Amino acid sequence: MGRYIAKRLIQLVAITFILSIGVFMLVHLLPGDPTLAILGPNDTPTARHELLAQLGLNKSLPQQYWTWLTNVFSGNLGKSFLTGQTVANAVAVALPIDLELILFSQVMAIVVAVPLALLAARRPNRVLDRLATTTSFGMLSIPTFVVAVLLVLVFAVQFHAFPATGYVRFSTDPVQNVRSVILPSVALAFGSIAIYYRLLRADLIATMQEDYITMARSKGLSATYVLTRHALRPSSFTLLAGAGISIGSLFTGAFVVEVLFQLPGIGYQLVNAIFARDYLMVQGMALVAAVFYLVINFGVDFLLTVLDPRVRRA
Amino acid sequence: MADTSRYDRRTFLGRSASGAAAVALAGVAAPALLGACSSGSSTSTASGATPGVGTGTPRKGGTLTVGLNSEIDGFLPTTNHFDNSGLVYANTVYDSLTAIGADGTAQPYLAQSVTPNADMTVWTVTLRPGVVFHDGSPLTAAVVVANAKALQASPLTGPALSPIASVTATGPLTVQYTTTEPLVAFPYYLATQVGYVVAMAQLSAADASQHPIGTGPFVFGSWVPNDHFTATRNPHYWRSGRPYLDSITYKPIVQDQSRESTLRSGTIDLMVTRDPNAIAHLGSNPGFQQVTDANRQHGQNDVGFIYLNTQVDPLSDLTVRQALAYATDTAQIARLFGAGVLKPISSPYPEGSPYRAPDNGYPVYDLAKARSLVAQAAPRHGGAVKVELATIPDPRLLDVLQALQSMWGQAGVQATVNQIEQVTFISNLALGNFQAYTGDQFDAADPDENYVWWSPTNAAAPGSIALNFARNKDPQMEAALQKGRTNADPTVRAQAYQTVDMLLAQDLPYLWLTTTVWSMTGSQKVQNFDNPTLPSGQPAQGMEAGTFIPTEIWLEA
Repeated sequence: MGRYIAKRLIQLVAITFILSIGVFMLVHLLPGDPTLAILGPNDTPTARHELLAQLGLNKSLPQQYWTWLTNVFSGNLGKSFLTGQTVANAVAVALPIDLELILFSQVMAIVVAVPLALLAARRPNRVLDRLATTTSFGMLSIPTFVVAVLLVLVFAVQFHAFPATGYVRFSTDPVQNVRSVILPSVALAFGSIAIYYRLLRADLIATMQEDYITMARSKGLSATYVLTRHALRPSSFTLLAGAGISIGSLFTGAFVVEVLFQLPGIGYQLVNAIFARDYLMVQGMALVAAVFYLVINFGVDFLLTVLDPRVRRA
Repeated sequence: MADTSRYDRRTFLGRSASGAAAVALAGVAAPALLGACSSGSSTSTASGATPGVGTGTPRKGGTLTVGLNSEIDGFLPTTNHFDNSGLVYANTVYDSLTAIGADGTAQPYLAQSVTPNADMTVWTVTLRPGVVFHDGSPLTAAVVVANAKALQASPLTGPALSPIASVTATGPLTVQYTTTEPLVAFPYYLATQVGYVVAMAQLSAADASQHPIGTGPFVFGSWVPNDHFTATRNPHYWRSGRPYLDSITYKPIVQDQSRESTLRSGTIDLMVTRDPNAIAHLGSNPGFQQVTDANRQHGQNDVGFIYLNTQVDPLSDLTVRQALAYATDTAQIARLFGAGVLKPISSPYPEGSPYRAPDNGYPVYDLAKARSLVAQAAPRHGGAVKVELATIPDPRLLDVLQALQSMWGQAGVQATVNQIEQVTFISNLALGNFQAYTGDQFDAADPDENYVWWSPTNAAAPGSIALNFARNKDPQMEAALQKGRTNADPTVRAQAYQTVDMLLAQDLPYLWLTTTVWSMTGSQKVQNFDNPTLPSGQPAQGMEAGTFIPTEIWLEA
């Protein structure tokens, strides 16, 4: 196990390094530069030259990359060209929002999807299974932004049950904090519920055809017991892998929901920074997102090895 | 995050040294003409009371939450871009040296007086005594001079302040601005981004753009970009008894629909928008009070239009530009996309403006004539007139362009439609790498503020940066603009700008489309959000182009 973890950690560091180069190069390949966003149309050659020097953008790309990388290793992600805000501070503001959204939405998705899949798999192709499968298909088909708008119209505008936009920090007001993330979390959970349900249901049904399940049933064990104690664990590998990908994607992929609910998370800040050619902000945010994605998937891989020791021997 | 749903004059001003350009280069207004132009807001409400105007005794206390349409990049006038939201923030923590009165004149605000010499090349600004910044330091002439010098030294605002030869303190509270040419509208510019005065401590701070220290009605509390800005009442404010609110919070909510929903849900008390659909929805809701600047009485509002690059083929051909103008049914555009709020226009000057020519000669929709002109011009352009229309990513503007594509297509013009990301869009405009781009610009308290955009001296060839994006080089335009900017006689100025209006209709660097309307909509408990006053007690200009002064807003219990 230790060797496996060490191997994965080395991979993690190597991939992060490669990603950092990729992010850095891609950002600098974007047409336009920050002087346009900072100086606007009155971007005279002299002013532009001065500003490029001031921002350190007159150096070669390798020099810029090396400076950035060494700063990152010392914990300095740099400052926004536009606002002067440190990238670390921007990450510190944005990160809790994403983590909370991910936590709430994924807990909701799991809490709904797993029991539903168990019920459906217990009696496949019966009314409940068909209803749940059809509903999940519909849920997958509805874009997240449509769900978000509908949730706002019903629960914020009509019933005033939740705020339509904005984020309240937990340290400021725990109750308002929870209220502020409920609707966006539901919007994000909507798609995840459908995916998790379908993955788990399919695996459960397949597992229920296994000989050891037949053996368990022949011993007189109840269907519920067999499902939860014998079938659920071996059926959850695909669900777990899917959850890893889904959680990683939500970290920046929640951008649309963050815009609609005005939640300045990582995705929201990242897209803004890209449009403004705020290089250091883009690099910092993208690096954090990439590391998060890798760590989540590393965690999922680790869990898979715990659930199924065959994985680490593969 | 900046509001990317529109690209307008304030965005230009915010995102360029031209912000200061519109201040220093553009123009000037002498006391004699301070009354010549101004602005005022029209209002609408479902209830009987005048919306935005408080009744009864102002009540102190409470927290107001306002939804704004954009976020800015900081609070330092020398380095940050003040769009309409930036000006709202500035009006919250700073004071400007002058402010625009309800009659459209530039009036002293933080300054006690602003007086010119005979030829308006020397302006003396006398400051109010006893004013202190939020850090306790006094407002003095030395601080104002330091601010002016920082503005001149900034790559953002410096080029624009080039007409100012020197700024000197001639007394503890007296500052003298000497200019290289008569700057008749000088007091107007002190009401813009370069008129705000920040404390010395802020000017020299490393994080100057993030921690504003002004003399304004509210003291900066916290700012989390793209989330909120909060300020609390300034207990030592120089305008006695004001402000009324304990604190004010601004939330930048860039999506119009989200901002509207947030107001309807009660999460915010007041919101700013220029989305015609939101204005129409909220204006008909008796639960809210709404003011707009649709019927502005003084100055001019932003207008929606298409920039035509007069220096690139085929739009360098006047016949082609005329064909496009005749093929554009602005009434239809307003009907389709104006939600009953926007009106078709044929001039940048509103009806009733002294600067609007009685008949400027702008082409009236005539499809047959458009077809004839296209047929006439096509042989000169390879047998077909092809035009690339483009805008920033914005669904409403894309709809407008697709309608134009259809209209122009009926006239025989082969138009393509593109959406271009904002930074590239600005770059292309500035460098002249475009044919026909959408615009939303030209809001001005004084017509001279548009000098920078229309002057042929700023119309460099494509490939070079130019503020006259359409690159119209008509020498008569420069003569008329100069006449307007240097002459204090209102009659002469009116004639000059009427000539400008006619030249714009004749040269067609812009295809006028519709008005632009801003509104503020608030819950019934928000009082007096459109009824600011000047220190003299006279009424000040209310909400205009999404900007307002929060000093005298109060909340009902």
